[in-house]
Amino acid sequence: MNAPVRTGRLPGAAAATAYQRQWFADLHRDHVPGAPLALVNADAPQEIFRAMGIPYVVNQWWASIVAAKRRTQDHLARLRERGYPDYTEQYSSTALGSAFDPDPASAPWGGLPTPSIVLAETTGDASRKIFDVWGDQPGVTFYPLESAAADTVPERWWELMPHDWESTVGTDRLDLMVGELEGLIRFLEQTTGRRFSEQRFAEVLALTNEQEEWNRRTRDLVAAARPCPVAVTDSIPAVMIPQWHRGTTWARDAAHRLHDEVADRVSAGAAVCDGERARLMWVGRGLWFDLGFYQRFQERYGAVFVWSMYLAIAADGYVRYGDDPLRTLAARFAAFSDQLYTPPWSAEWYVKEARAHGVQGVVHLVSDDARGSWATTRALRAAGIPVLELHADNVDARRSDPDHLDRTVGGWLEAEVLPRADD
Amino acid sequence: MSAALAALLDPALPGRTPDRPVAGYVGADVPVELLTAAGYHPRRLSGSPHEDASAGRRYLGGGLDPVACSVLTRLLAGSYGPLDVLVVSRDCEASLRLFYVLRELRRVEPSVALPPLHLVDVLHLPHRTTTRYVLAKVRGLRAWLAERSGRPVGDDALAAAVVAHDRVRALLRATGELRPRRRLTGTEFLGVVDAATALLPDRAAELLGALVAELADRDPRSGLPVHLTGSAHDCPDVYAAVEAGGLLVVGEDHDRGDLLAATDVGDPGDPAGLELALAERYQHNGPAAPRASIAERAAHTAARVRSRDAAGLLGYVREHDDGPPWDWAAQRAAAGVPAALLERQPYGRVDPDALDRAVRALRAPAVAA
Repeated sequence: MNAPVRTGRLPGAAAATAYQRQWFADLHRDHVPGAPLALVNADAPQEIFRAMGIPYVVNQWWASIVAAKRRTQDHLARLRERGYPDYTEQYSSTALGSAFDPDPASAPWGGLPTPSIVLAETTGDASRKIFDVWGDQPGVTFYPLESAAADTVPERWWELMPHDWESTVGTDRLDLMVGELEGLIRFLEQTTGRRFSEQRFAEVLALTNEQEEWNRRTRDLVAAARPCPVAVTDSIPAVMIPQWHRGTTWARDAAHRLHDEVADRVSAGAAVCDGERARLMWVGRGLWFDLGFYQRFQERYGAVFVWSMYLAIAADGYVRYGDDPLRTLAARFAAFSDQLYTPPWSAEWYVKEARAHGVQGVVHLVSDDARGSWATTRALRAAGIPVLELHADNVDARRSDPDHLDRTVGGWLEAEVLPRADD
Repeated sequence: MSAALAALLDPALPGRTPDRPVAGYVGADVPVELLTAAGYHPRRLSGSPHEDASAGRRYLGGGLDPVACSVLTRLLAGSYGPLDVLVVSRDCEASLRLFYVLRELRRVEPSVALPPLHLVDVLHLPHRTTTRYVLAKVRGLRAWLAERSGRPVGDDALAAAVVAHDRVRALLRATGELRPRRRLTGTEFLGVVDAATALLPDRAAELLGALVAELADRDPRSGLPVHLTGSAHDCPDVYAAVEAGGLLVVGEDHDRGDLLAATDVGDPGDPAGLELALAERYQHNGPAAPRASIAERAAHTAARVRSRDAAGLLGYVREHDDGPPWDWAAQRAAAGVPAALLERQPYGRVDPDALDRAVRALRAPAVAA
């Protein structure tokens, strides 16, 4: 076998980032204050806005931009000045700091335009309160969705969800979300004057399924490839920017392009790291304020992060087929976060993905906000995979000294992962 | 002290020890009437800040409300005695996460002794769609309890349980109305509520009825009257510290105090309406911090400050209790009285210096607030 070819930046990742910059600039240029504009949580049913032609910005995407520009502390300080906590749900509350920005022109990407509607599920104890504050801002309406929970669930959701979502998610939860989405549509029709077309909505859902099917193929390519052909710092923007534009032909085609670029790299034997010694999995949200983190260990140790949840959940978490479009959309989101954070779904899925990707170690980001970290770590370790729990916040660097993170991961690699990988 | 109060605050009070199957439950969102009607002695699970909770923290993590870690630790240690069933509500995120860990433990570590487990997912947005969902959850719990006990939960038993628990709630409200007249301390009221949830409802009503009669003639308690907001309190330690500092807690807005008895199920008139009456009662059972909007909380707090003649608003927020700090700015603005916040406090304790500062702030003239 020939020596692997060291890769540069994935063109699709650069293209996606450029597209997003242009899209956001156009949004700034075209947006008239008071015109329909939504701020939505990442796990909210954005497809309704897409179908109605209402632009939306994803709350957590914006937080990632602010963090990458090292502006999170400014934003949290504005919350603190107004008597709100700066130490809970920072990933969700960062954008609220933008609402209080006295100088939005100096903010990242020209600042966050004021939305007319904010949409979020009532998850956690603080999330809905963050959006309550949004709803108190002039011209902003908060439309809350319930976040229902199940008493019992089948385990292998990733096999069931595309077609058997009714039994997998449960009729009660689906009935609830369908009712709420019907209310949302009526609300948007009345307040924006936009029309909701069932035909257009069906097109959006079909495009989304096409997009996520491409992501599924890409994930399978990456899982099987040795060495790893694409850096997570490339796959994340190449997947997630189209994810925020899902339901468009651009997003579908971007997912197709990503697949083809990865396939070409696999065919060429390309590697993100010369001398790949160990394959790692990153469980948790992206460490947005320190994206260089993911590269440092491949340069020092030949340890490559081959997996993040962003491509994997795109592959397994979105595809839904059904005859009733609104119920099908509800099936995508009524239990979305359970796929990532609620055992047994989350735990079994991470194990499945770890095995498919042949990882030799897992770095598990454990934030303070309430998630099912024990079950994930337990399941992976029970499967024989070393796990390092990294206690940090993904946007708030106050608890995440880079030197400490590096020493912790480096020590774990040397002690637990590399000796096994080199065997 | 009145005889009824002494009895209610007595940990060895006969009747606290169950003589029938026990249903442990977590959170005030569990429709306790169904547990009673199914023949169980309902027992609300409390944590203990005086016990090591590292076992629970190992499963739930360090970022969750320590009450849940303590409850889990005590469940694993068998500290609650035999529980025939365990029903968990999602009254807050910590309870939901506790349920998920318990469910996962039953799946992957079957050697851990845990009772049969059920989640009752009562939600609270004020919408018809939510009511229909909660109704399905009430029916689901009823069916699950019937399956566990081997007999249906009949309409007659359920109607009787509704009447009994409504009676207890009415008497708790009557007891609470004695607080602006300073007839009992906040610490005592917290103990009374705890006893009322530990006893079967008929016995609780008997003692509460006597308590209301006996307290009418009691000398007023001392202290600056304050309304307490923020975290719920499953032990008296913080109340005792606050009242030892010169304050008198005359009201609160958490569900181990006044909020537990804020609303009734009522008589639907037709047994077929019992489940819906339960669903609507628990959906709208009062604006608890983890689930209500900031506006609802602020309006409720302000109304309670006025109705209880509180001279100050004290916020106490336990570490990793994420909801209440977001309410505080609006509550303070709406209260119309001096206000002070004790934030990120350790479970069951209050920082004495911070308490001193808070007491001084509360004693300042209202205009300074």
